[in-house]
Amino acid sequence: MSRELQGIVLLLVGIVTLRISWGTTYLNYVKEGMRPWLLISGAVLVVLGVLAIIDVLRGRGDEPDVHDVPDAHDEGHDDTHGHSHHHGPRSAWLLLLPVVTLFVVAPPALGAYAAARDTTNSSPSSRVLPPLPPGDPVPVFLSDYVTRAVWEQGVSLEDRTVELTGFVLPTDDGWQLARLQIACCAADAFASKVQPVEVPEEFADLPADTWVTLTGRWVPTEGEPTVDTIPLVTVDTLTVIPQPENPYD
Amino acid sequence: MSETEQAAPRRWRIGGLEILLVLAVLIVVGQRWLLDLFDAPALQTASTIFVSIFIQALPFLVLGVLLSAAITAFVPPTFWARALPSNRAAAVPVAGACGLVLPGCECASVPVAGSLMARGVTPAAALAFLLSAPAINPIVLASTYVAFPDDPMIVVARLIASFAAAVIMGWLWLRFGKGEWLRMPSRAHLEGATRWHSFRLAATHDFLHAGGFLVIGGLAAAIFNVAMPQEWLETLAENPLLAVLALALLAVVLSICSEADAFVAASFTEFSPTAKLAFMVVGPMVDLKLMSMQAGVFGRSFATRFAPATFVVAVTMSVLVGWWLLS
Repeated sequence: MSRELQGIVLLLVGIVTLRISWGTTYLNYVKEGMRPWLLISGAVLVVLGVLAIIDVLRGRGDEPDVHDVPDAHDEGHDDTHGHSHHHGPRSAWLLLLPVVTLFVVAPPALGAYAAARDTTNSSPSSRVLPPLPPGDPVPVFLSDYVTRAVWEQGVSLEDRTVELTGFVLPTDDGWQLARLQIACCAADAFASKVQPVEVPEEFADLPADTWVTLTGRWVPTEGEPTVDTIPLVTVDTLTVIPQPENPYD
Repeated sequence: MSETEQAAPRRWRIGGLEILLVLAVLIVVGQRWLLDLFDAPALQTASTIFVSIFIQALPFLVLGVLLSAAITAFVPPTFWARALPSNRAAAVPVAGACGLVLPGCECASVPVAGSLMARGVTPAAALAFLLSAPAINPIVLASTYVAFPDDPMIVVARLIASFAAAVIMGWLWLRFGKGEWLRMPSRAHLEGATRWHSFRLAATHDFLHAGGFLVIGGLAAAIFNVAMPQEWLETLAENPLLAVLALALLAVVLSICSEADAFVAASFTEFSPTAKLAFMVVGPMVDLKLMSMQAGVFGRSFATRFAPATFVVAVTMSVLVGWWLLS
């Protein structure tokens, strides 16, 4: 890969990194805390790319090759080296793959497909959750709701109306409310699931990945809590909403 | 088009720039088709995971290549001769302990280890650093502590098992490693006109090189992540030894950043603490994206020997330390 192409690839990777972290797209892939680091690394790559291109325009692009390879300007003789060190690494072409994927396809946040693959429900965080803050309804993270309802036997949920937000995960008989949590990036996502009961007729079969906010009350589940237990919630009100800025819990 | 016409009289050969232009045209023309293709949920999920791994690793890779470029351009080779013990067997644990201070994940340590070797650090010591840095740095230990608030011993166990595995691998390399397996990263071609120019050349080269292999690894991890049936994990959790092997293999496949793997390990509630420990010891040392990057930087014949050996040593250390501290 010639020095000018190296510059272009660096520039493209840098621009795409800046573009996704400038807005909120990056939240589909990583945690909020990554943003400054993405902006900095995007900027570093853009600077390196621009400087590499300036090198070429000033005619000193291949300068470092000149001492050891007399025919450094001759791309055709590249193959004789086996490893194309003198023209930069060939593997660099692969960097165009994430660039194209992000620019053209812009993969959406993980949704129902990934949640369905996670066969267990989210497990309790080992800290004891504090009592619910005041509010009626009180907004609760889906993962917190699972912990409170399954692992704390609903003590903190009794007589409260909660507001839950998640996406629709279709099941054999209706749908569950699900939301994914990420520890670092979407590769480590795990799902929290809640089963709505008394769903109004008009919302009985919503399409997968529809985002909804519902208010309702906790209903006890039968049996001992396990990692498969899916807690219940009644549906008092249900609103279809656009995907939240941060799709993960 | 004008590019090809200009190039044609000079030589009948298609250069990179022309390929790039053709690619761009194809993508613009085929965008609708591409979007339709990515409508399938499995492919969509895989592409999201692929992009996520890449985006997550990118800042660490940039940090790593800037550090390694600084080592190449600004730190004189004599520094390492003075900083590390001249006895190579003694240099291994010292280099392994240096891993405590590089705040990054595995993507950062590959280029840094490469430039250490190029600067005359004995490969065994550089390899011990390569393995220990992503596993025992303060950020990783702190995130492990946060992920296991009720079980601080697991942080100690992780530190001891990872450090031991890294040092043992360094010593094994000293004893059994052959120089010909390792393609010594040559950096002679990266000498620029000034130090600053050398720095830029090294950073550019390392980023493009390691970045390309990060893409391969991320792609493999994303495909495995979507294609692997989840159910078999649960059946394996019941047998103590199989549970350790299952989570160790899962760490290889998932290729999660070492700063996040503790949270994932903590989510495997049905597995034993030793199995979770194995997940956290193996992950930063052997995983798909790392194997791909090691093959790129140190050569394929190195990676095919080093990665399996590291896997065995890391699992053994996890079992021993887990049995000692976590049972």
